Amino acid sequence: MSAIGVLRCSLKAAAIIATCWLVPAVWAQEPPKPAQIVFNDSGGDMTKAMREAFYSEFEKRYGIRVVTTSPIDAGKLKAMVESGNVEWSVTEIGPEEAMLAEKQGLLEPLDRKVIDLSGYPEHLQDRKFIMPKGVYSTVLGYREDAFAGGNGPRSWADFWDTKKFPGPRTLRDSPVDNLEFALMADGVPPDKLYPLDVDRAFRKLDAIKPHIAVWWKTGAQSAQLLVDKEAVMGSAWNGRYYVAIKNGAPLHIEWNQGMIKESAFVIPRGAKDAYWGQKMLALITEANLQGIYANIITYPGLNLKSMDYVQADLKQFMPTNPDNLPKQVWTDAKWWLENGSSAQERWSKWILAQ
Amino acid sequence: MDNGRLNVVKRAPRRIPVLRSEQGPVLVGLLPILFLGFLFLLPVARLLMLSVEGGTLVHFHKALFGELYLRVFYDTFKIAITVTLLSLFLAYPVAYVLSTASPQWALIGFLFLMLPFWTSILVRTYAWMILLGRNGVLNQILVGLGLVREPVALLYNVPGVLIGMVHVLLPYMVFPIYSAMLRVDRDLLLAAEGLGASSLSVFWRVFLPLTLPGVIAGTALVFILSLGFYITPALLGGGRVIMIAVLIEQQVRQFLEWGFASALSIILLSFALLAFFALNRTAWRRTA
Repeated sequence: MSAIGVLRCSLKAAAIIATCWLVPAVWAQEPPKPAQIVFNDSGGDMTKAMREAFYSEFEKRYGIRVVTTSPIDAGKLKAMVESGNVEWSVTEIGPEEAMLAEKQGLLEPLDRKVIDLSGYPEHLQDRKFIMPKGVYSTVLGYREDAFAGGNGPRSWADFWDTKKFPGPRTLRDSPVDNLEFALMADGVPPDKLYPLDVDRAFRKLDAIKPHIAVWWKTGAQSAQLLVDKEAVMGSAWNGRYYVAIKNGAPLHIEWNQGMIKESAFVIPRGAKDAYWGQKMLALITEANLQGIYANIITYPGLNLKSMDYVQADLKQFMPTNPDNLPKQVWTDAKWWLENGSSAQERWSKWILAQ
Repeated sequence: MDNGRLNVVKRAPRRIPVLRSEQGPVLVGLLPILFLGFLFLLPVARLLMLSVEGGTLVHFHKALFGELYLRVFYDTFKIAITVTLLSLFLAYPVAYVLSTASPQWALIGFLFLMLPFWTSILVRTYAWMILLGRNGVLNQILVGLGLVREPVALLYNVPGVLIGMVHVLLPYMVFPIYSAMLRVDRDLLLAAEGLGASSLSVFWRVFLPLTLPGVIAGTALVFILSLGFYITPALLGGGRVIMIAVLIEQQVRQFLEWGFASALSIILLSFALLAFFALNRTAWRRTA
């Protein structure tokens, strides 16, 4: 062995020994406080609600400024982690993308000594990388003035029934949710949806295709299309309908057969100030803060106690409200993780087929 | 045809010394080359590497032989060509009017041209939705005047996409043509007229050829920009118009499939370069 080799070996040994001794000492006390952490969220109304409920509390409690960026972007997350230049301390992320990112090793493990999920539903308590943030639901909505006497569509079978419920419709330009809706319209019971029968779903979608005025792309579009009377009924994320209703639009939310899913927060692997990111996530689990957030934007938290802090008149707009929750179906993110890419390709082909 | 080709051959040797004297010392050229190398060639090389990662051509195979992607490439080019031609026919008269207008009027014209240019593309796209929708301003006027009985479908189809894209890209066509028109020596037009040419033939044989470099520059700019268009077709097409950029974005951000996304990008880049070289050759031939 050369002299340099020996030197390198002994240096390595020294480093290992030093690390073993030093790490517990460092971990016993908190890492130094940075001036700020960067939180990447969906932007818009979401950022405003997040600041009011969580960021301002974090700043008050720890004296660390929370800087926000948007939008959420799994591609950017991957680029940051792979280039080693991670600017986000925490980021929001879609449920399927979160699982992809976990699979590709892009995430920092959750420090379960810091983050307490005991108030959460049992099936979410063993999370290792993906912190469940809250829930949202893709629901059926319609213009009340298009259907007299409250006789609007009550299910996806009604949505497909263009004779009884005439008028242009809008759905999201994505196979997610729409395959489920088509199967339920075709008579598949909600608890037997997965694994999805993709062929059957597309056959059923053929029937509704001529009646879709617009395949919407952005959340803002989905409710606006009903407000502008481009469509009389459609699908949208529940909060989007709520905002339109709050602004005076005559829309009705039908919770029956809505596809409910969780949104998530993650810490990118190699994030600067990951420790304070963990502290931030811990703060977000608190029931009263989740209640404040839900009161602003009607996306409830997953801490079951947070419903106690939700205003009575707003409970009807929450997907987790006991009246609404049993009517909806949980999206199987695992199925979409495995089949999402091929379903999307088939969807694009189907859209282009005249 | 033979005559034209002969002209090119005859004139080519005359150009070379001109080019050399324009290029200047090698040292001055080195900096831009380094700059372009680092900022453009290196990333493109990395993209190419990603697309063949693992030493397979499976991504290219899927992109070129799967029925979806070729179809979308075809649609993308069809839309890009249509947008380029529409912009050209709209921009040429606009540029002409601006180049002959008095300075005050030219300023006002440019303001109108630039105002939407400074507005966010998303805002402009939503503005079109308000104007062109089923219950939009334009349809209300048409129905109110009794010109049509049912609202016309101007939005959420190919015409909607074309209107939105041409609106966004028009300035890119107007400016190069405008600057080419400014450079035209107006005395040449007078001379042609004095020699008995009709105003139509003054335009066809003198003015148009002299402004052709601007036309070609604008065409190249608009065509290449429209190939990569994303948000306007996505929103104004109502989900029925799929451009290749939309599929690339899906692979990058939704499925984190960067190998496949790179293969699609490389193919788009090759097509765009091919189109660019073809245009450049025409330009070379015409101006030589």
